[in-house]
Amino acid sequence: MDSKTRTQVGGPEDPREGLEAVVALRRTLEALEAAQVENAFVAGWSWARIAEVLGVSKQAVHKKHAKRIRERYPGRPPGRKDWDR
Amino acid sequence: MMFTRFTDRSRTSVEAAFDEARMLGHDSLGDEDLLLGILRADEGKAAEALSSLGVTLEDAREASEGMLSDALSSIGISLEGVRTQAGEAFDMRIPDNRRIAYSPVAKKALVGARKEMRRRGDDHLGTEHVLLGILGNADGMAVRMLARMGVAPETLQERLFEVCDRAG
Repeated sequence: MDSKTRTQVGGPEDPREGLEAVVALRRTLEALEAAQVENAFVAGWSWARIAEVLGVSKQAVHKKHAKRIRERYPGRPPGRKDWDR
Repeated sequence: MMFTRFTDRSRTSVEAAFDEARMLGHDSLGDEDLLLGILRADEGKAAEALSSLGVTLEDAREASEGMLSDALSSIGISLEGVRTQAGEAFDMRIPDNRRIAYSPVAKKALVGARKEMRRRGDDHLGTEHVLLGILGNADGMAVRMLARMGVAPETLQERLFEVCDRAG
């Protein structure tokens, strides 16, 4: 397959560019997930509800995000009555 | 073992590189992070050569983010758009509880640094050797990051040798 055919089927001209886009997207996705979970939690959403929308278990989302968010809010976030529900 | 014969400065620059990698959301330490570490530690011959060519830590961080933004643009995603939608909570930083390792490219640069040290007949592995090791990878992120800042690898290498000669 020459590079012309390749462009026609939609792959990037340079494979490196395609692969680097994957890395960039993965990093951005991680940061975006962290931000949106934090936003939902601060808005008063329960871990169970956040997990449901993300399509993962409550334990998984708690394990991945709770500690970080807790450290970012030394007191309680304004929109929340409690930490763990 | 990794740090055998490293000077305090070059060791500090590698430690600073891990901080930079973490801050930028890199899940492994890349060769561009080694370069950022040299700039952040801001000591030693490599930092002197870089700063004499006008390369600053701020410029390098900006170039790194520019490369991330360009890579996302190539698949139709706007980093600014993501940032705006996610709001203030958006932070590329890797959480403290996640460990990051050397990437194969960074390891190769440090192996290259050791070879440069031997080739030059030096006893200690300084920031100048680390920088030469980084420049050894012409396709690397670090070299492309420098190009983005208008610095050609040959120019930097030449300047580095000048700095080393002056130091004796």
